[in-house]
Formats: sequence, C-alpha cells, structure tokens
Amino acid sequence: MKFNSWYLSSFLISFVVLIPVITVFSSFFESTSNYYEILKNTFLMEYIFNSIILLISVLALTFIIGTGTAYLVSFYNFPGSNFFKWALILSFAVPPYIYAYSLTAFFENYGTAFTILKNLFGDANYNKNIPKFDGMFGAILSISFSLYAYVYILARASFLYQSQNLIDLGKNLGFSKLKSFYKIILPAARPAIVAGLSLVAMETLAEFGAVDFFSINTLTTGIYNSWITFDDLAFANRVSFFLLLFIFSLFVLENLSRRRAKYHLNSKGGFKQKQKTKLFGKSSFLAFIFCFLIFFMSFLFPLGQMLYWTIKFPENLFDLQIIDLVLNTLYLVILSSLVLLIFSLISNYGNRVSNNKSLNFLSTLSISGYAIPGVILAIAFITFIAWLDDSIIKSLGFASIKKVFIGSILGLVLVYFIRFYSLAFNGIKSGYEKINISVDESAYLLGYSKRKTFMNIHIPFLRNSLLFIIILISLEIIRELPITLILRPFNFETFATTAYISASEDLLEAAAVPSLFLILIASLFIIISSKYILKENNE
Amino acid sequence: MSKNFFEVKNVDFKVGGKTKVANVSFAIEKEGDVICLLGPSGIGKTTILRTIAGLEKIKKGSIELKGNVLSSEKINLEPEDRNISLAFQENSLFPHYTVEKNILLGAEKNKGKKDHQVSFQEIIELLDISLILNKYPHEISAGEAQRASLARSLVTQPDLLLLDEPLSNVDQSFKEEIQEKLKKILKSSKITTIIVTHDSYEAFYLGSKCGIILNQELKQFDDPYNVYHLPNSIEVVNFLNRGTLIHAEVTSPKSLENKDLGTITGNFIKPFPIGSKVKLLVQPEDLHHDDKSNLKFEVVDRKFRGTNFIYTLKTPSNTLIPVFVHSHHIHQHEIDEKFGIKRPIHIDHIVCF
Repeated sequence: MKFNSWYLSSFLISFVVLIPVITVFSSFFESTSNYYEILKNTFLMEYIFNSIILLISVLALTFIIGTGTAYLVSFYNFPGSNFFKWALILSFAVPPYIYAYSLTAFFENYGTAFTILKNLFGDANYNKNIPKFDGMFGAILSISFSLYAYVYILARASFLYQSQNLIDLGKNLGFSKLKSFYKIILPAARPAIVAGLSLVAMETLAEFGAVDFFSINTLTTGIYNSWITFDDLAFANRVSFFLLLFIFSLFVLENLSRRRAKYHLNSKGGFKQKQKTKLFGKSSFLAFIFCFLIFFMSFLFPLGQMLYWTIKFPENLFDLQIIDLVLNTLYLVILSSLVLLIFSLISNYGNRVSNNKSLNFLSTLSISGYAIPGVILAIAFITFIAWLDDSIIKSLGFASIKKVFIGSILGLVLVYFIRFYSLAFNGIKSGYEKINISVDESAYLLGYSKRKTFMNIHIPFLRNSLLFIIILISLEIIRELPITLILRPFNFETFATTAYISASEDLLEAAAVPSLFLILIASLFIIISSKYILKENNE
Repeated sequence: MSKNFFEVKNVDFKVGGKTKVANVSFAIEKEGDVICLLGPSGIGKTTILRTIAGLEKIKKGSIELKGNVLSSEKINLEPEDRNISLAFQENSLFPHYTVEKNILLGAEKNKGKKDHQVSFQEIIELLDISLILNKYPHEISAGEAQRASLARSLVTQPDLLLLDEPLSNVDQSFKEEIQEKLKKILKSSKITTIIVTHDSYEAFYLGSKCGIILNQELKQFDDPYNVYHLPNSIEVVNFLNRGTLIHAEVTSPKSLENKDLGTITGNFIKPFPIGSKVKLLVQPEDLHHDDKSNLKFEVVDRKFRGTNFIYTLKTPSNTLIPVFVHSHHIHQHEIDEKFGIKRPIHIDHIVCF
C-alpha cells in the first residue's frame, strides 16, 4: 500500500461522510426522555404500520407504472412513443409534496374539480360526488407518481440492452407476446427493476413533505416530531437507527441486484439490435392512452394545477421574492455542486491510485449517506455538532461552533454534501470504470505525474459525466425539503421551503407559485439531462 | 556497476504479493538489441514488463538500466522518471483524444532529445495508420489500436521499449508485414526493446535473444537458434512443441540406438556415458523421407503447412514421430499408409535428457 496524499484525502472525505451514520448508530446506547416510553405504548406501532403500508403500496404502483411504460416505449412503435420515451422522466420534476398539494387542490371541497364541473354543468353541490384523495391514499398516489421514474429509467435501460436474439428465441419456442414478457423479458430485467424499486423504497421511507402534508404518521415524521415537539434528539436518533437498519437492508438488496445485473449485459459479439414492433389500431391506441395517462397524471396534472392557481391568484406571484429565491437556489446549487464534485473527484482518484481494500470498503460504506433520509441526516448532524461543541470545543476553551454549522449555509452545504455524496461519487466512479487502468499507466510512462494524469487525462475524459452529475445534484437540491427546512439560515428560503411553509399554513394557493417555478426549473434540468440518459442507453 | 546496457539480477517478479516468476536474471548487452520473452499465457511475462516499467515493485534483486539502478529492495524509481515505454496488450490509448493526439503526446515526451532517428511521419507510414489519425480510439479496430499504441511508444524514443504481445490483435495476413516493419524501425532507431509474446515464430524472428519462461522460472535465455535446436530442458521442448522425445541408449560417443529407428549418429551437445538410457529429442527436420527405405512406419496424421507437410508416424512401440516433407514431394502419403525413413539416420545436434 502506498501511503500518499491521495490516499489520505480519500480516507478523510469518506470518514467525514460517515459521521452521521456513526452518530445515529452510537445514539442507540444513549438514554432518552420519557417520550420514548409514551410513544412505545401509543403511536410507535402506528408509525411502523403506516410506513409498511405506504412502502408496499408505493412499490406495487411504481412497479406497474414504471415497468409498463418502459416495456411499451422500449418494444413498440406507436403514436408519441418517441416523445413519451423522455417525457415520462419529467415526473421527477414534481416532488411528492407538490403532487400532494395539487391532488388536494384539485379534489378538495370547492376545489378545481368543483370549479370545472360548475363551469360545465352549472351550480350544484358536486362536493359529495368528487372523490377525495387525501390521507394514506393521497400519500401513496403522490409518492408513486413522483417516483415511478426510477423504475421506468432502469427497466427501460435493461429492456434496451436485451438482445433481439432473446426475443427471437421466445418466438422460436412458440411463446405468445404475453408469455415472452413474463418468461423472458421481465426475468432478464429483474435486477434492474429491483434496483429501481429499492431506490423507490428508500425514497418512500425517507419521504417527509407529502406524508406530513397528509398528516400520516410514519417513522420519518415521527423522527421529525420527536425532535421538533419534544426536543428529544436521542429518541429521534433511536427511531432513525431502526429506520436505517431497514433502509440498509434495502440498500444491500439494491447493491446485490446491481451486481447481478452485470450478468445480464450482453457481450459484444452476441448482441443484436432490437427491432421495435409497430402497433396498429386498438393496441396502438391503448398503448398511447396508457402512456399519455401516466404522463398526464404525473406531470401535466400538477403542472396545470399550479399554473391555474398562479393565474387565478396572480397577487401571490408579486408577493414572492422570486429573484431572491432564484439567487438562493443558484447559490446553493453552485456551492454544493462545486464541493461535491471536487471532493468526489479526489476521493475517486485516491481510491484508484491507492488500490487499497480497506479504503475501498470505507468509500462503499460512506456512499450509504444517500440511503439516510434527509430528516435523520439533518438531526444527526445537529447531534454531532452539539456533541462536538459541548464535549470538545468548549472544554478546550474555544467559542461555540454551533452558530457556524447550525442555521448556516456552511452547515446546509455540508449536509447536502453528505446526502448527495453517493450521487457524485458513483457518477464519477462509473465514468472512471470506462477508463482502463492501463490508460493511467501509459500516462505515467509518458512522464505524467499523478496530478498531471488527473488534470490532463481524467478530468477532460470525465467532462460529460461531471456535467451530468451537476445537473442531477441541482435537480436534487432544488427539490430537497427537510434538510433545507431544518438547517437553513434564518430568512433564507428556497422554492421548496416557501411552498412547504405556505402549504403548512393552509395557504395552498400561495404554495402554487414557488411550486410552479420549482417544477419549471427542474423540468429544464431534466430535459437537458435526458439527452445524457438516452445517450447512456445507446440511443 | 553492470557493464551491460540493461540487466535484471535475481529478481522475484510478484503481483499482489504472489510470485509469478522467481529468481530471474538476464541481460541486454548493447543498446539497440531486441530480446523476446516467450511463454504460455498467464505465466507472468506481462508482470515482468510492468515491473521493469516501474508499475510493480520488487523486494529481491535489482533492475539496472545504463548502469543506474531502477528497482531494488530499497530503490524504486517512479514510472514517469525511467524513460521506459510500455505498449500494453490491451487498448491503452487515451479515449478522449484522437489517434494523432495520442501519438503526439508520446512525441511531446521526446522533445529535447538529441536523437530523432525515426520521425513521426515515418512511424505512421511504417505502421500504416495514416488513415485512422483523426479517429477516436473507440472508432478503430483492436489491431489498429494496437498499432497506434505501438506508434505512441515508438515516438517517445525511450531508453528501453517494452512491447506486450504487440501483434496479438493484428490480422494474420498483416502480421508478417508488420513484423518486418517493426524489425526495421527498431533497427534503424536503435531502440533497445523487450518483446513479450507467446508466438515462438514471432520471438525467433524479432529477437536476437529469447527467454523461455515456464513454471515460474526463466528456463532458458539464449539465441533463437539455440533455443530451438538446443533446448536445455524437457519443459522447453514440450513448450515449443517442435519435436518428440524417444527412448534411446548411448552406444558410443557419437551414436545411440533406438529399438524402432535403429542406429542414430551425430554430435552430442552434452556427453553421456556409454550405456546410458536417455530421452532423445527428434525434431521434424531430423528425419528424412525415402520411399525406397525399408524402415517404414504407419502414417497416423498429416498436416498441410503450405510449404511442407508434417507427417506423424507411429512406430511399432507406439511412439509418435513428426517428419517434414516438402509439399512439392512427388506423392502424398495417406493416413494408414506406410511411410519410409531414410537410413542411416544422422542428426547434427544430438540433444538428450
């Protein structure tokens, strides 16, 4: 092993990212207030039960929507199929909490649905006939329509890599289209679908905005409440510990399925480009309707609702400090992207040149930050800073550091860094996997130092990957709610926090403007990044 | 200090703590010499090159170039400081640069050197890669990538050039032509080179010396002629697969007796006491065909090699013996037919074990 500065930097970065995980796990041994006893006897089972119901339902729905749409656009040509191919990713632009606002705004008493019916059929009491999508059902719909794209993207990528030979083999064995789907296509894409569903599961368990809006008590909202209401950090961390264990098992499952997915990649020689089947008549119409319905429900509907309210209540548009919000968002995006890219690059390169097993293990562990819900991460961060301040900083006679890290941009960016580190690290790693190690060695033999190899060979090669990662980070930060809500400086708002605050004050109309801006900006990022996603899939 | 241009002394070549080839010693006497290391796949030939290039370290012995120690237990000069170029077997071109830019990066390293015996243009023409200069590595074939990588290594004008299976991906039809060109470039540019290959014909053609690596050892390091005709161990004979070992008894300082072939005369490379039971190496060109001979064996196989046939004959004691026959020989012998061997049998170099 070569103990060099690259190794040391990589080690330190991974260690810093791991701090919240260590904090949560160490809190297991701390004593908590009476709140734990009260909760254990009252709501804890409800939290767990709700979390499980939410998880199972969302998984089922995202599987059907994600796999169904991916199958149609990957295997068939029908009107709009090329459009839906990328348009279905746009649902990512609508975070579950904004979907929840739209759902409520449309179906509530005297809501948008009521107004439409009134305009069409005149005055009447339509409220009793309008279904109400609130509570658990509303949360399930909001999360599913926002997250199905994880399954869609991964399933579609897997379908695209399936060779025509496989399909031909099915025909040769006399399989019908349905049987081919169940017996060949679906099992071959299983690892990708499981990977997509694992991501959905992690996000669902971590979901805060939508479940909080619908007043569903889950483990995540429980953690938030125990901290906000009872100021019991130790208990919040203890609940986090159980949630983390659960999430980590999903994380392991996702990793395992990804590893298996390698077996499904086709070797150069055996791959035969797939020929899409052209659909006609009824089947063509049904395929179009299915995809359009999903696109409409997941994107057009919330966009339309927010747009409608912005037009209906234009005063909210002028009340909002839009320039400030854009600047704040840009500030966070640029700062966080820079920090994430620089440190992820150093860490990846450190791993590459050190080629050390324990460092590799530490790095793998550190990327688990993505599996930790934002709420837990923010609270763990506060716990850690409080401990550091009380136990070390003050005892050494220094001034308190709490203000430097809590309620500050520095603290916020640091937690974003931990939360989205895996995104940047994995993105760069997959870029690096395309560079054979002999390329580095050739550079050394041409007289390049490690630094020069990094700057002159790796960075230019990774340029496209880095751009893509910046877009993904930006997208995540624009949508991010709980971390920003907990750690932002006083009077520092983003589109997400402004929307949340208005919605939590029952001012849904006011939440529409920031939500609309959020959707539009996120859509722009998605449209730009979709080119990369499609390119990745050789289209 | 070593008088040789390049020298490897008692080195254990290891990768990931595991010894691939142990206690290796060999030397390149003069600048501009080309040597080849020959051995089966996975034996550790590449590890030797990587270690010489500084990509792997050693814990025993030393590697010296121009009298300076590059690697030893205590010294390890970084790869970038060695002026050694290694052309990898796999595609190691920088993926985001065109072929031309890749090669020019090699030329950059060469800047300021006094001797530019072979120009960029000459190398491009010799390796026939002018048409792919503007292409990116992913747009060219494996053989083209290998030639481009070779060109990049050549333009650096290194003190020592290491080529790892340089022509393994080149089409068979093109291989001989490239071999000739490569030999010409290396000779005119006087670049000292170590070539690793598993193709013995390539090694015999390109190298002034050949090292045979088998079973974690450098078994023989000698002129190609000697490696072929005077192998120093049964393992080398088996690896080269150009002959067969038959039982014989030494009957005089210049003869042996085999129960199928009878008396065989010749010059012993290594003397054996009379009466010794030995294994005699019989190579295809050692025996000569004679239709009129009364020493006849059954043909069990016939390989057509263009310029010649190699017949495999079965003796009464079930030994299989290969025999060359010019392909213009008046008549061909079918399998199961009898095949005559000219007597008396005389072998110039008698190699026994």
